[in-house]
Amino acid sequence: MTDPPSTVLRTSRRGFLGLAGASASLAALARLRPTAASAAATGAGAAPFFDARATAILTAIVERMVDTGEPGAPPVRSTRAIESIDRLCGGLDPALTDPLPLALQLVEWGPYVFDWKLARFTELAPADQDASLDGWRTSRFATRRLAFYALRNLALFGYWSQDATWPLIGYGGPLLRPEGGA
Amino acid sequence: MITTLLERGGDLVEQADVCVIGTGAGGAVAAAELAAAGRSVVVLEQGHHWTAKDFTQREDEMLPRLFEEGGMRQTADGAVVVLQGRNVGGSTVHNLCYAFRTPDPILKMWRDEHGLSELTPEALAPSFARVEQNLKVKPIEEGQLNALNRIVRAGAQKLGWSGLVAKHNREGCIGAGYCILGCSYDAKQSMLVTYVPRASAAGARIYANARAERIETVGGRARRVLGRVVAHDGTALGSIEVTAKVVVLAAGAVASPDLLLRSGLANGSGQVGRNLHLHPSVMVAGFFDEPIHAYRGIPQSYYVDQFIDLEKDPNRGFVLMPITGFPVLTAANMPGFGKSLYRDLRDYSKMAAVLALLHDRSAGSVTSGSSPAKPTIEYALTPDDRAQLGEGLVRCAEILLAGGATRVVAPYWIDPIELRPGDDLSVLARRGVREGEIGLASTHPQSTCRMGGDPRSSVSNAFGECHEVPGLFVADMSVFPTSLGAPPQITTAALADRTARHIAARWDELGA
Repeated sequence: MTDPPSTVLRTSRRGFLGLAGASASLAALARLRPTAASAAATGAGAAPFFDARATAILTAIVERMVDTGEPGAPPVRSTRAIESIDRLCGGLDPALTDPLPLALQLVEWGPYVFDWKLARFTELAPADQDASLDGWRTSRFATRRLAFYALRNLALFGYWSQDATWPLIGYGGPLLRPEGGA
Repeated sequence: MITTLLERGGDLVEQADVCVIGTGAGGAVAAAELAAAGRSVVVLEQGHHWTAKDFTQREDEMLPRLFEEGGMRQTADGAVVVLQGRNVGGSTVHNLCYAFRTPDPILKMWRDEHGLSELTPEALAPSFARVEQNLKVKPIEEGQLNALNRIVRAGAQKLGWSGLVAKHNREGCIGAGYCILGCSYDAKQSMLVTYVPRASAAGARIYANARAERIETVGGRARRVLGRVVAHDGTALGSIEVTAKVVVLAAGAVASPDLLLRSGLANGSGQVGRNLHLHPSVMVAGFFDEPIHAYRGIPQSYYVDQFIDLEKDPNRGFVLMPITGFPVLTAANMPGFGKSLYRDLRDYSKMAAVLALLHDRSAGSVTSGSSPAKPTIEYALTPDDRAQLGEGLVRCAEILLAGGATRVVAPYWIDPIELRPGDDLSVLARRGVREGEIGLASTHPQSTCRMGGDPRSSVSNAFGECHEVPGLFVADMSVFPTSLGAPPQITTAALADRTARHIAARWDELGA
């Protein structure tokens, strides 16, 4: 088991709520909320934005955010959704993305604090993960809601920009003129 | 000549008669007209020079290329998404090509209430005509209406509502539908393929990746523009210094006031950055029995003007417009996650949406933020504007149901409302529109450097020249004295045409 971040362990429930509510940097996630549609126009080949642990948490979140329940839906891990999100974040102004690792940690340890469960988000069953995320979506704290939408829209960006997902919703994809066409 | 500074590298030091900042509907027109009039012109554009071959029709690639803050610009409270272009051609590269002249009642209001007596339809007619000719504005043909627009028209006709098939600036459109991601076929007559090449052909030196950060005066006149060469992610790579006799500021209604504020110019009235109108919009999604593939074809052709009567009241009203999106944007605008979101998204091909776009009196502000790339935008709806958007929500649902939708969804972030034919739509009016509870979007920020006859209450005069700084002109949507109440690209371009001709005609004085 990965050691929890010391900032989380050292805080009581009240302190944790304060951390979430007062985090000015997390509030910057609001800027990611509505479209969550951006990718690095440059930055190809840059170092990964998320480290391995953050990637694992992100992957778990994305899997719930884009769960369709369809047996034929491409699994997140079989697509390049996470890679797309990583590339996106790596190409954005740091002022927008600096709070993301903290947001991932808050979601990961959220079940202990908000849901009274003795497990991290990545250790929960899918239904419990959904319930935990719904707590973020409907929280009375604006910062939690904003963080939810930031992560939700990153997930939507990563998954629904994948060609393999388009047949699920009947989207035909680009209609680019053939090379050399009129 | 268009130079991409990222590729060229190094610093930029230039000298010209005129420095134009921005290449959107205002800047490109001003640059082309001034260059054609024989002036030496340098144009600074902070965005990149993307062209049709770069327009891949993919959201993951195009949204960050074409939009400020990668499509994530929004008001400080996160309530309103503000979509603005950040590329050579500005927002005209991603807009949906509605081509309307300034409504006469709006011009009348500008004359009567803002001291702009020169702005008559007759005085502007030559500018409108030139712009429309150069942008190849023409009526959309019947055969070009896609399923989405036919549905909206059918709904309007069934309800007896007033509407029209609009004019647009497209030539040879094949109806792929990817206008908002840039036209891969150069059929959209954006500034990128019209006025920018005209400016270049007339000798203007156009620099992409060139962000203006400060305007300096000498002897009280605008004489120098300083800035930086910027990468796509905003990384500063080099310095820019342009010396000019006249500066035309056309960076848009967010960046233009930010630049004036950073420069400490033209703000004796305290109006720079104030009076921000957004034309905020809300949308309702409708679902049909059969696939309609709303994303194919011209996205916006039909225009419902039943709920705006500018002759009667030039200050209020809203219009209804069809709207569509590709998978990421569509998903992001629908509520919920996981299976609940997919319940709507799986019917993507059967989905049509209508938005209500408000002619707003609400007035927000733009102030300088932590960096030139991130001005702070604040905006709150007045109770009356909130009420109008609430009615707009009802009308969106009504027209979709009249057009044959079997269910509609008002996408409140929590507890969205789903309605079916025969349901009581007043539930939408009762819940209404409040910032933060339902998505609001803006593609038309305006009025932050407003024109006016009185220097105490306005920033610039009827030709866009700043009252306090001779030789400094503003030529973008920020000069609108009020909300326009109509799609703005033709008004912006026509006013810029007029400003440029005014500069050219006064050159003996301005160029001294």
